[in-house]
Amino acid sequence: MTGALIAEGLTKRYGRRTALADCTLAVPAGHVVGLVGPNGAGKSTLLQLACGLLDPTAGRIEVLGAKPVSGSPTIGFVAQDTPVYGGMTVADHLRLGAHLNPSWDHAFAERRIAQTGLDPAQKAGRLSGGQRAQLALTVAAAKRPGLLLLDEPVAALDPLARRGFLQGLMEFTAENGTSVIMSSHLVADLERVCDYLIVLVGSKVRVAGEVDDLLSSHHRLAGPRRDPVDPGSGVHVVEESHTDRQSTLVVRSTAPIDDPSWQVDRLGLEDIVLAYMSGSGAGRDRVLEGRR
Amino acid sequence: MIWLTWRQYRTPALSTGGLLLLFLLALAATWTRITDLARSTGLTGCSGTACDRAATTFLQELDTGPVGPVYVTVAVALLLLPALFGTFWGAPLVARELETGTYRLIFSQTVSRGRWLLVKLLVGGASAAFGAGLVALLLTRWAAPIDTARGDRISPLTFAVHGVVPIGYAALAFVIGVTAGLLLRRIVPAMAVTLLLVAAVQVAMPLLVRPVLATSVTSITALDAAHPSRMSFDTGSGAVHVTGPAAMPNAWILENTTITADGAEFAGPAPSDVCGPESGGPEKCQEWLAAQNLRQKVVSVPGAQFWALQWRELGLLLAAAVALALCCLWRIRRKLA
Repeated sequence: MTGALIAEGLTKRYGRRTALADCTLAVPAGHVVGLVGPNGAGKSTLLQLACGLLDPTAGRIEVLGAKPVSGSPTIGFVAQDTPVYGGMTVADHLRLGAHLNPSWDHAFAERRIAQTGLDPAQKAGRLSGGQRAQLALTVAAAKRPGLLLLDEPVAALDPLARRGFLQGLMEFTAENGTSVIMSSHLVADLERVCDYLIVLVGSKVRVAGEVDDLLSSHHRLAGPRRDPVDPGSGVHVVEESHTDRQSTLVVRSTAPIDDPSWQVDRLGLEDIVLAYMSGSGAGRDRVLEGRR
Repeated sequence: MIWLTWRQYRTPALSTGGLLLLFLLALAATWTRITDLARSTGLTGCSGTACDRAATTFLQELDTGPVGPVYVTVAVALLLLPALFGTFWGAPLVARELETGTYRLIFSQTVSRGRWLLVKLLVGGASAAFGAGLVALLLTRWAAPIDTARGDRISPLTFAVHGVVPIGYAALAFVIGVTAGLLLRRIVPAMAVTLLLVAAVQVAMPLLVRPVLATSVTSITALDAAHPSRMSFDTGSGAVHVTGPAAMPNAWILENTTITADGAEFAGPAPSDVCGPESGGPEKCQEWLAAQNLRQKVVSVPGAQFWALQWRELGLLLAAAVALALCCLWRIRRKLA
């Protein structure tokens, strides 16, 4: 089986700045993947490498079993800030898609435009952020790609438009079973639609896996202070914090935690992501931003 | 892809087209007047010295009427047209996509970057070349009597707005604009750089390149010191500079110098009482110069080379445009951000 996205040692440098360092990933097909991380973590770079807009400095990337090139019929991409041609109408954008994509599904595109309440005669430059995002999603989705990449599609939207956009995305994936990779710096956006999560911090992949697995394998341990910590074999400490009396750990372990001196709690997805962000020493400011 | 190119560029295309149409109408409206005038003054079908007289009357008649201003307007427009194509058609072509981020939308469609740029270059370049070529060829036909009367068809300014070279300038300017936009990634700097480069090409062509393309003819004759076109005397050193008459109809004079019998450039010195301010007029100096056994050396390009030179220059400009376009295609395929 070929994965939706396979990366090996993928690195992208702009001059001396490293945007993505030694990224190794294997995302299976058929998932709605959330790519989460603070701003500047390399999410956009990874997605643009995946759609062929950028070429890697080193390493290898394979999307749907082939090296990605821009102009590929199987990859759909909604870029950050959802760029559209301001001087062209909504209907023009659909014609653009129809002219440039052999696999274009015009009935689907028109249905979606009608559903989202966009006026086909309106200039795209006059659309609100939410409407523009809907238009960009429609153009990308009507291409019928095997993998749809969305780069922070809801970052600039108000909560209502955000919900509308995610609703539309969920309907689309439920209908078509298309693989989706969507980035965001907010876990809350991803939690509702994603069944697979990648945490990218400081240009490195911290954790990647199915949401259910992540939820069942991460635990918060609280107990009397012990430093250094040795929670046992097969247990990986993600984050640790100590007060004078108490130690609190976030650990990853597939096996249950047997040690009775620990109080074991389940963790929400957001807690897990935050643990990875702070545990990686990315800095408190970024964590706070993630909690916003 | 062609639909998209049309959709995105119909506004500049239609406005430029409208402007060019205006020029064509102006030429058409004055067409009968210019041919009538050429016939009535006897310029059409004249021969020998009658031609010179007819030409003088014809040019005098031209001054009263719309033909003169129309000629100047269309010629100046043709000189400025490449800059317009470069800055307003070429420069924003890639730069606007990069600046507004829409390149991420368009290159996510099923169209490769190379094909996208190729179509835009072909459609834009061909339209620019067609527009400029149409006006230039009509102007060439329209202005034929004027050019015959003036005998200046091969002089640098006239040459650049006649025949086929405007096609080359338009195409090259457009591609220069695209290249600047692709490399600078911002519309306004790309437009400014394009303007400078296009002007540089238009200046460099007659000054540096065209003399090399042409086969110049060197003629050495005895200096007619009685009718110099220019004469100067330096009171300090006694150096005297004289330039013979440049009466060479239908030729582009590259060099007009006065040389001595052994081929060196003549610079005097002349006695101050002959050529100086106290000599009381240029006659004595001219007599003295006539006795110096001087020759006039004129390097010129004869007007008969007009079309050969036009095709050579067009070829060179188009070759440069194609080479630059290939660089753009290579670059956009290889690297975007």
